[in-house]
Amino acid sequence: MPDAIGPFDLAAKAAFYAVAAGTLAGAWFAVSARNLFRAALGLALALFGVAALYLFLEAEFLAVTQLLVYVGAILTLLVFGVMLTARIADPSVARWNRQAAGASVLAAVIGGGLVWAYLQTPWPAETALAPPVPLPAIGRMIVSGYLLPFELLSLLLLGALVGALYVARKE
Amino acid sequence: MPVPLPHVLIVSAGLFAIGFFGVLTRRNTIGILMSIELILNSANLNLVAFSRIWKGTGAEGQMAALLVIGIAAAGAVVGLALVLAIFRHRNTIAADEIRLLKG
Repeated sequence: MPDAIGPFDLAAKAAFYAVAAGTLAGAWFAVSARNLFRAALGLALALFGVAALYLFLEAEFLAVTQLLVYVGAILTLLVFGVMLTARIADPSVARWNRQAAGASVLAAVIGGGLVWAYLQTPWPAETALAPPVPLPAIGRMIVSGYLLPFELLSLLLLGALVGALYVARKE
Repeated sequence: MPVPLPHVLIVSAGLFAIGFFGVLTRRNTIGILMSIELILNSANLNLVAFSRIWKGTGAEGQMAALLVIGIAAAGAVVGLALVLAIFRHRNTIAADEIRLLKG
């Protein structure tokens, strides 16, 4: 990538900050919406935003996986859970418990501390970054160096499937 | 990469702070599950971002993020099954109304 800031580079930067703002706004909506169905929509916005951020980090495979698994499966599951259980449209149900004030201070301290640490750290130059990983390399890693975690994950998913069926079955 | 790395990390820190606040304060159990998903997403973002500056093949962070996504799916499934079971027995899923074990 050339050093001069071209119009494409500027557009990419603008798109990044728009995506970042959308992600954080969606996340805030997901934790603050009184109606839980709307909170699920905010979560969808945040998950789409994270998938777009993966694209900015040049991790295309992960972006597609994020869309398939999170937006396609987990979010659908959460919406089913919301529909089956919650009194979603009841405005008298409080959204937060009494810890809201203390928790907001704690979250602000942790988030602010992280941001402060990131701004203090001397980061390597743009040219020192590792090149983007091609998809075949990821595939080879799954079936070579990461074979054991991969197989353990399939075992965990099987256990979760059987366990969830057992817990949620009718008596 | 069109954007500086620390800016991605700052977005991830914001995502973590919001999710952390949600886990501590949400009354609805499904809301707590949603906040946990936010926290896992922020951790994944950090893993992928840091794997760009780590002296490896550059794919280690992506592998870890893939495993985290799989484990998050398993967690969401079991969590929702528990929520449904609790709702069937107690007719509520507010976290502060489930206190059978509180003396």
